[in-house]
Amino acid sequence: MINFNMILIASFLFPLLSGVLLFAIKEQADRKVTFAYTGLSLVITGVLNMILLFADSAEVKLITLMNGIDIVFRLDTLGKYFMGIVSLVWILAGFFSYTYMKHEKNEKRYFAYYLIVFGVLNGLGAAGNLITMYAFYEFMTLSSFPLVLHNQKKESVMAALKYLFYSFFGAYMALFGLFFMCRYCRTLDFIPGGVIDQVAMSGHETLVLVCICLMIMGFSVKAGMFPLHAWLPAAHPVAPAPASAALSGIIVKGGVLAILRVIFYIAGPEIIRGTFIQYLLLTLSLVTVFMGSMLAYREKVLKKRLAYSTVSQLSYILFGIALLNPAGLTGSLLHMAAHAFIKCALFLSAGAIIFNTGCTRVDELRGIGKKMPGVIWGYTIVSLGLIGIPPTGGFISKWYLASGALSSGIKGFSYAGPIVLLISALLTAGYLLPVTINGFFPGDDYDYENHKTIKTSFYMIMPIIVLAILSVLIGMFPNGLTEFIGSITGEIFNTGF
Amino acid sequence: MIIYLLPITVLFPILASVLIPVVPIKSRRGITWFIEAIVIVNSILVWYLLWGSPDQSFTLFKFTGNLSVTFHIDGMATVFAGLVSFLWPLATFYSFEYMKHEEHERVFFMFYTMTYGVTLGIAMSSNIFSMYFFYELLTIVTTPLVIHTLKKEAVDAARKYIYYSMGGAAFAFIGMVFIILYGTTADFTYGGVLAGGTFARNINVLYLIYVFSFMGFGVKAAIWPVCGWLPKAGVAPTPVTALLHAVAVVKSGAFAVMRLTYYCFGADLLRGSWAQYTVMAFSIFTIVYGCSMAVKERHLKRRLAYSTVSNLSYILFGVTIMTPLGLVGALAHLVAHAFMKITSFFCAGAIMYKTGRNYVYELDGFGRKMPKTFAIFTVSAFALMGVPGLAGFISKYNLAIAAVYSDNVLAYIGVGALLCSAILTAIYMFTIIIRAFFPRDDFDYETIKDVEDPNYIMILPLTIFVIVIFILGLHPQPLLDMFVKIAVGNL
Amino acid sequence: MEIMRNFPCISIILCMCSAIVSSALPGKWARRLNVTIVLAVITLSGGTLVYSLAKGYETVYKMGRFPAPWGNEIRFGVLEAIMALFFSGILLLSVLGGSKKLKEDIDNFKENLYFVLLDLLLSSLLALIYTNDLFTAYVFVEICTIAACGLIMASERGRAIEAATRYMIYAQIGSGLLLFGLCILYDITGHLLMSNIKTQVIILASSGQYHIPLVISIVFIGTGLAIKSALFPFHAWLPDSYGYSPVPSAAILSSLVSKGYIFLLLKIFYRVFGLNIIQESHLFNILLIFGLAGMIFGSVSAILEQDIRRMIAFSSVAQIGYIYMGFGMGIRSGMVAAVFHIISHAASKSLLFISSAGLTDASGKNKTFKDLTGAAYRNKIAGAAFTTGALSMVGVPLFSGFISKLLFAKAAFETNAMTMVATLVCLAISTILNAVYFLKTVARIYTPATTEYETIRFKDNIPFGVACILFIILNLILGLASDPLVEFINRGLMMFS
Repeated sequence: MINFNMILIASFLFPLLSGVLLFAIKEQADRKVTFAYTGLSLVITGVLNMILLFADSAEVKLITLMNGIDIVFRLDTLGKYFMGIVSLVWILAGFFSYTYMKHEKNEKRYFAYYLIVFGVLNGLGAAGNLITMYAFYEFMTLSSFPLVLHNQKKESVMAALKYLFYSFFGAYMALFGLFFMCRYCRTLDFIPGGVIDQVAMSGHETLVLVCICLMIMGFSVKAGMFPLHAWLPAAHPVAPAPASAALSGIIVKGGVLAILRVIFYIAGPEIIRGTFIQYLLLTLSLVTVFMGSMLAYREKVLKKRLAYSTVSQLSYILFGIALLNPAGLTGSLLHMAAHAFIKCALFLSAGAIIFNTGCTRVDELRGIGKKMPGVIWGYTIVSLGLIGIPPTGGFISKWYLASGALSSGIKGFSYAGPIVLLISALLTAGYLLPVTINGFFPGDDYDYENHKTIKTSFYMIMPIIVLAILSVLIGMFPNGLTEFIGSITGEIFNTGF
Repeated sequence: MIIYLLPITVLFPILASVLIPVVPIKSRRGITWFIEAIVIVNSILVWYLLWGSPDQSFTLFKFTGNLSVTFHIDGMATVFAGLVSFLWPLATFYSFEYMKHEEHERVFFMFYTMTYGVTLGIAMSSNIFSMYFFYELLTIVTTPLVIHTLKKEAVDAARKYIYYSMGGAAFAFIGMVFIILYGTTADFTYGGVLAGGTFARNINVLYLIYVFSFMGFGVKAAIWPVCGWLPKAGVAPTPVTALLHAVAVVKSGAFAVMRLTYYCFGADLLRGSWAQYTVMAFSIFTIVYGCSMAVKERHLKRRLAYSTVSNLSYILFGVTIMTPLGLVGALAHLVAHAFMKITSFFCAGAIMYKTGRNYVYELDGFGRKMPKTFAIFTVSAFALMGVPGLAGFISKYNLAIAAVYSDNVLAYIGVGALLCSAILTAIYMFTIIIRAFFPRDDFDYETIKDVEDPNYIMILPLTIFVIVIFILGLHPQPLLDMFVKIAVGNL
Repeated sequence: MEIMRNFPCISIILCMCSAIVSSALPGKWARRLNVTIVLAVITLSGGTLVYSLAKGYETVYKMGRFPAPWGNEIRFGVLEAIMALFFSGILLLSVLGGSKKLKEDIDNFKENLYFVLLDLLLSSLLALIYTNDLFTAYVFVEICTIAACGLIMASERGRAIEAATRYMIYAQIGSGLLLFGLCILYDITGHLLMSNIKTQVIILASSGQYHIPLVISIVFIGTGLAIKSALFPFHAWLPDSYGYSPVPSAAILSSLVSKGYIFLLLKIFYRVFGLNIIQESHLFNILLIFGLAGMIFGSVSAILEQDIRRMIAFSSVAQIGYIYMGFGMGIRSGMVAAVFHIISHAASKSLLFISSAGLTDASGKNKTFKDLTGAAYRNKIAGAAFTTGALSMVGVPLFSGFISKLLFAKAAFETNAMTMVATLVCLAISTILNAVYFLKTVARIYTPATTEYETIRFKDNIPFGVACILFIILNLILGLASDPLVEFINRGLMMFS
């Protein structure tokens, strides 16, 4: 009999402690030792997470801070789902770092924080009540900002500060709501369908709704929703590429997870349905979808373009959530996974390009496909996925999103939603594919004389290819995943799916 | 017999400190041991006293018919006296190292130790007159500490300090006379002494007098618009800024406001009145004002002082909620802030002592050179921001919950102010931390190669404080249980 | 026991006789005689106090046993005895403290004249305190004025003469008004003895006859005495005459002479008109307003002052404002507070004057603050004394000023809401202002100086040191054991009405 409770604790405590331990270890002459240590820790954590996927339930009360504030970890389906995505992406991006970090300073610090953030993310996924989640949400911000400012250039430090202050602003907005939830909820534990105390709430409906709205808006800062998205395009590009990949693929999902928890596990969809919160969220997410795509389209620096793309894609997820129906939620959750893999792969490709050629701008990438075919093939596959071409993961998630919107029956949005998604998909094609096209077909005036193929390191190419394959697999064989997601939506909406 | 410890703990440091300048001990080491012995002995006496917590009161002397200086131990007294007696020996220990390069050491320590007794006097006063008496005395004995360096700015700061404090006392005086005249009893009584009293006149007069005396005692608790003295007083030696202007003096103000609100006027009498809204509005404004000024300020100690301004108003905000929960929150923040702020001040002091640098922009790269100091500083900064798991989160949580349950819209806004202040705290603290740990990539560590951590005399108190911050953050329940008992009048 | 009823009369006559004798004595002997006489007066006043307390009601003593309206009466109770006791005591201490200074200021061969004036002053003060005859009172007011003038210009230096002239003009206007008032009163009542007038006044008031002349006489008497006691805005003579006269003169003038007039006014309130009639004439309101204004204005002027003596003088304006504020409340407890403040202010103000002389002596006779820096280290006893006086003025517990502040505040709570709030606020503001200038000075004298002046030790001027210590003790006694005194004042006022 495996004690799942212990594993649950270990899954976040182990990487955390091993990261802290890495600080304590003296700088090694051979960077391989550091990396071996990190790699081993990553794999062990990954294995722990995989074991947890098969656990039925696990619940640990770590400590009681004070009466009413317990630090509780409880494994539920949503948490498992999140932890699964996290560990895949984190390990792969971690392996990518091995080669990439060669040309950065302070490697040890990077890997230490990388491990710590992994632990914190696991904790976030496993958090069993609002306060625990809030705590780990804060820790996530605090432990991930050193990744952003890693190269300590002025620009990165400023970006990191921007990241910090936006995140804190959001977190405190959420905290404001949280305080009120203490009064108007039966308990702060996450229970599918919500825990609002109808009796306590009667007479204070507006206050409660405003508080829920503030919590959602607060957490949506991490998810880069308009109008508090400005930190994202600043912070993601300045980090080292694997860190950008992890930030853009996973950390932002922390915000999404928090919103999911608030909407479906604290407030409950029935409370929010039809209120201003739903309309606000729908409107803002659609605005962000469109705006993010437009900004990405206009952006010339590849990593920034990808960051804007993240802004846009995350709001797909939020849009699906805001629909408050099973199909929309399924689409969101699918897109969460698909986007995590795809965006990670995209940033890693960008990192590989920067590492090998030093090019950062899109217009410098002519003929890149000839030089690094493996990387650009991976890039192209995931790009198609993000655009939503069947049979990739992006297609299936967008399909669900669109059908969710159409079946929601919300006046205006049920049609406006799919249209905006479609336009955004076109824009996505417009900003992602030029790299492929110019890369493989540089045109007649390309200087073939000086052309030579660059050999990309295995550690770099492998994660990109694996992620690309994963993104396609989601699209081709979605049944396993949708079934799993079905159990989540089933819990929430009390329907078999 | 334990009853006689009441006056002894107050008078012993005051009388013994007079010996410090004249005691015929030549070596610096000897005199430091002498001072530390006084302080530790007194702290032990205080703990013994609090442990026994005698029921009777002890009247030291009578001024006039119903004005007497009387001591008594109740829950509030236990909290404040316990806090002070815990911090004082450690802070004194720290000062031995810090004061090495200052002049007139003995005079400094004389007043420093004297303040200990006076602060205990405030803590253990059993009626408003005794409290007022020690409150005035506190101003007088702490002024020489502010003026210590005798530089022009120190003299200016001391003047400002004394004008503000005396002015505050003048307004507090009105409230005191009112309570003495119309209270049913002279002693502090939970729930107030006015209910059923003889004041049958216009209730607005009562409210006005409450506002006056709140603002009066609020001067020491640095409420806007009378907070200007606190940042200025930062010119004093760090042990003074850290212990007095983050704990003893300013907390005396907050403590006095608690006594005034809950034990004299009575929270029930004031709840829902315009007086409550007025004082609450002031404290909410101060919360935001202090933080904003801290963000603007470049001088490290002054920045921390402005942060104190803001945090003190957290306490006052808790008081002005005027529910038992509010008092719990206020007491929790009183204790938590004491540890957090003394820690950050002592870190600032260590930096000044080792390098003489005062301004935030001079701290580039210090994190690597003074790792212990800055690790501790970071913990205190996180605690001040309210990161869960540290002391600050617990106290803010209690304050906010009190506000949430108060059904008072202004208090809801106050919660917003708390969080607004938290983000500002993040800004002014993180700009320091990032500078120290992550200087620009072209920063040359050679320029600060002589910078190092201070010795154990400074690190030891800091370590103890950090441990307390963690304990308060992770296992505060016993303390909170006690606060709850106090707040419902059972202790 | 019965012989004690002669004591007031004896003490007045003793003083007058000694004045006459002193004019023929050399300076040294005149001083000794003066000290002896004052000591005798103290003893006699003590006896009177004991007698009055034992008797429990007022004693009427007919001079030469002639009945009214031809005879002249002395009337005394507890309050008169206390006043006489304190006045003579403070006079003694002031002379003691300033004796050395006096020798420097005054030509040797004129020294006896100074003591002649002092004796005259004391006798007139005693007469003002004890007499029951308005005309006698007027005569002694004049004697007092003349003596005071002489005391001011004793040093015969430029500013002093100018100050004396100014004082003379103001005082004469005051006397003139007083005389007018008395004449009108005599005209409408036909009496000069206070008790007889009162009987008539009550009849007049109840019948409504001579209403306007009555009011006018009240106003004239009030204004006349207010001018003489330097109530704001009639204070212009005060700063110069206190600032440039010899120190003992300043101490005596500020603490005794103006207080003698105030006491006379109090007696007229009670003995001649009765509080009700004064209340109807609204004199109290006017006194209150000017008292409050004086509290603020006097302090503000003191803050702006650069000369320590003039600063203390302006502080007197403020303190006289306090006393009139106490009167202006128009209630018993206000009067008690005012009378207590007469005593407490006398004790602190003369202490301040005396000690400031000690400080200036230790600063090369300069009176500006710049030169006073560090003076407390050069003359320790003066520093301690000044600090005591200053703290008392600010109203710090332990010192006499606190008790009077307390009494004023207590009294204020008995008045109507308007008056109460105004009074309390002014009291608080005035305390702040007091703190500003007094504690500024204290800080100044304790700041180590850069310039060197000679140090004055205790044994250099023993009388001064002794006087300072006695004053400090007096202040502490008034601050710590004020209960009996307040009780006596209460009883005295009860006997008044």
